[in-house]
Amino acid sequence: MKLQDPRPSKWLLFRIWASVGLQSFGGGASTTFLIQRAFIEKHKWLTMEEFAHLWNLCILTPGINLVALTVLIGRKLGGAWGIAISLAGLLLPSALITCLLTAGFKIVENLPAIQAILRGVVPATGGIMLLVGLNFALPLFRKGSKIGVLYLLASSVLIIACALAVILLKLSVIIVILGAIFLGALFFSSKSASPLLEEGEGKQP
Amino acid sequence: MINPFIYFLLFLKASLFSTGGFSNLPSLHQDLIANGWANEADFGQSIAIGQISPGPNGLWVISMGYLTYGYVGALLALIAITIPALLVLFVSAGYSRIEERTWVQGAMHGVSLAVVGLLLTVVWTILHQPGVDWKGLLIAAGAFGLAWSRKVNLLIILALAGLAGYLLYR
Repeated sequence: MKLQDPRPSKWLLFRIWASVGLQSFGGGASTTFLIQRAFIEKHKWLTMEEFAHLWNLCILTPGINLVALTVLIGRKLGGAWGIAISLAGLLLPSALITCLLTAGFKIVENLPAIQAILRGVVPATGGIMLLVGLNFALPLFRKGSKIGVLYLLASSVLIIACALAVILLKLSVIIVILGAIFLGALFFSSKSASPLLEEGEGKQP
Repeated sequence: MINPFIYFLLFLKASLFSTGGFSNLPSLHQDLIANGWANEADFGQSIAIGQISPGPNGLWVISMGYLTYGYVGALLALIAITIPALLVLFVSAGYSRIEERTWVQGAMHGVSLAVVGLLLTVVWTILHQPGVDWKGLLIAAGAFGLAWSRKVNLLIILALAGLAGYLLYR
């Protein structure tokens, strides 16, 4: 696929990101889809391979992966300005709408009908959250079942241990994550690959 | 009273130690409740509003910010979720040098597992609120099933849940 000159005007870049932000309902999958359609298929500023590489970097970055992806695509298309404009385009219009919806909700929240509706909606968010967790877990289990039963078992134990540490022991979430990083490096590093040079060790992604 | 600086740092910390839009939830839940700056209901509500409004999943924290601290809270939350994303610039500079190290991959696997465990705690917390009875649990199971099928839009699932709530609890 032949790429076009990747130097869109600032205003065009803002408009594209704003439309991606405003059209993404129901979260991550639709946003990713819209980004691919706009930047790869419509404007041909990125190839699918580049996109996949950028996405891998975003998975290693803390925070919301899609926002990190916005930073990388913005940098490619317009340097520092591209980053600022892309972030503003993706986040400001949709954040403003989120605020207004919340403000509207505050006005009506004490109506009995709204309270009744909420008693239905809130548990539903719990069910959806369970699916979010399962979506995170499935690729890990798939990887585990390829490597071996012990690896799979250890993975399941770590998941349950993390959950219980927070619910029963009331441990801080940060401690749990740091513990998981440590245990992961200790137990899930495959022994087959040889260690590289030790210089610059301890650098966290 | 909310201390804006600490408030911002709590959001930033939650975001720095998370991957994906919802994994900052357990940390925020722990800290905001402990400080008395949010109650259980705020969490269910902001997640629901976050699902209804456009934008990436992670924008539920904007709603959380607004519910707990008005427009200032929403703005602080927005800044707090933007800063960690900029770290991707360092990741892209340094990743090729460390990606082959086995301990990096092991550590990443550990983090991913922790994220799953922590999300389970969020599910547990949402479903253990005083307003959730056995009918609420049925609604949760129904929402899970519909979302699992991938055939029904999340907005429709939430609308159905709201309708069920209206009919059951009014």
